[in-house]
Amino acid sequence: MKITILYGTETGNAEMLAEDIQAELEGDHEVDCLNLSDMGAGDFDPSRFYLLVCSTYGDGELPASAQPFAEAVEAEKPDLSAIKFAIFGLGDSEYDETFNFGPKTLAELLQAQGATQVGERIAHDASGPDMAEDLAFPWAEAVVAEAAELIGEDA
Amino acid sequence: MTAGKIAIVGAGPSGCFLAQSLLKAAPELEVDLIDRLPVPYGLVRYGVAADHQGTKGVARQFARIFERQGAQFHGNITLGQEVTLEALQTAYDAVVLAAGLMQDRALEIPGGDLPGIHGAGAITRALYDHPDATPLPDLGPRPLIVGNGNVAIDLLRLLAKQPEELEGSDLGPVATGWLRQNGVEEITITGRSPAAQAKFDTVMIKELSKLSGVTIHVEGAGSSEDAAEAKKIEAVLALHGHATGPRRVTFRFGLTPLAVEGDERVTAMRFQTTAGEETLPCTSVLTAIGFCADGVLPRDTLLAGAQDAEAGVLAPGLYATGWFRRGPRGTIPENRADAQALATRILAELTPDPDKPGRVILSDLDARVDYSGWTRIDAHEIATAPDDRCRAKIASREEMLRLAREEEKTK
Repeated sequence: MKITILYGTETGNAEMLAEDIQAELEGDHEVDCLNLSDMGAGDFDPSRFYLLVCSTYGDGELPASAQPFAEAVEAEKPDLSAIKFAIFGLGDSEYDETFNFGPKTLAELLQAQGATQVGERIAHDASGPDMAEDLAFPWAEAVVAEAAELIGEDA
Repeated sequence: MTAGKIAIVGAGPSGCFLAQSLLKAAPELEVDLIDRLPVPYGLVRYGVAADHQGTKGVARQFARIFERQGAQFHGNITLGQEVTLEALQTAYDAVVLAAGLMQDRALEIPGGDLPGIHGAGAITRALYDHPDATPLPDLGPRPLIVGNGNVAIDLLRLLAKQPEELEGSDLGPVATGWLRQNGVEEITITGRSPAAQAKFDTVMIKELSKLSGVTIHVEGAGSSEDAAEAKKIEAVLALHGHATGPRRVTFRFGLTPLAVEGDERVTAMRFQTTAGEETLPCTSVLTAIGFCADGVLPRDTLLAGAQDAEAGVLAPGLYATGWFRRGPRGTIPENRADAQALATRILAELTPDPDKPGRVILSDLDARVDYSGWTRIDAHEIATAPDDRCRAKIASREEMLRLAREEEKTK
């Protein structure tokens, strides 16, 4: 399957995880990895599956690299009804009031333009005991398998 | 083709982000991070609060620089002692100063040098087991914090926390005992600006609403038409009346320090307010009003004569980034962006000279602790952590050096 991993990052942690997921998947799939700051609202391709990795920054805001993308989607309102995506969040439960607001905002933004979310929105907690990749790799495999049925393995 | 050789002075977040960015763009570069401590990561290890372990997670990125991207760590090397700046400039194609700022800015008012006045940097270094820290002082029952930045809020939060609120942190036994037994009854925190323009981040204020042993009063938070300012005021006001325990915390705004009062030690601090002068009794003063250079590097001279100070170009082949260039402002991500911009500039200007020796001038230094030495310290700290701590930090330089140099034992 053709997969594009999109990351929204502020400190680089989401970028690192996105690259790790790319390395994990590229044996079996054709995988690109792109900063959301380099993604236009109209750049989506229905033949690809989009894996988003996004943190939260400040008081529940989107990370810096996702903000121009979010503004562009809101302004341009692209038709994303043929787009399938899954999203993984990086958060810190020290700030429980706004825990994983960034990925939530991003998912809702895409869904508002008609995109379909595959699988659950999973969140890693930086203050918890798990390594992000230990949650993200099984998640990625599961959502990719699920998407393969929707998009088609050979797409 | 000759690979460029770059030395970065300071293995804190700015230096590490710079190395990461350089090596991502040009993996063949020889990038060396030099630090005066035997351990890397600077502010992430010694400035980010012990109870903000999530924020310290960036260290995982930094480990990759050494483990996968080929950067080398040269710890326990002090500029001017084991190696000079001139020697680095001779040996490398580019030298970057990312040494940060660690000296507390002094309170330059009458009485500003009375016993009982302590800088936030000095206190937090002691709390976070920095090897060069001075012992934790007696604050008395009523410390007063001067400053409204995130450092001031960190200090307030740690002083206000109950022992069980520190579970999962890496706060060591000395600091934990000191916090438990310091007899603090009331903490007053004062800011020069109105609440609307206070430098702290709103999220830092909201975190205080979880404190389990305090009664918080907020005085004079004011109001604002500006949305961001109003949000900040709202967050501060939301703390007013938070009552979960006996330790009193009072927020005051718009207080300009005039003098510290006391004969042999601090007994009060006098402020200018819009309503006239006001004196607040206190038993110690904790200043969190910014940081400055410690004089090991001639920062002022270098910046004053810089070719392009805004871009971090001090002179041909000599650069600066992070707090060392910017001053004590900006969070870790802001300094990451700064380091990324500088990496682009360095790569555009770099002209590798095959005759430059590079890292061999450091490799043979007796004092040097390399990355594998740090991994032995790191492993030891994690392995010896008590149940309610994530790490047991080694505070003594001698012990760090001993662990770093311990031969890997055969199983």
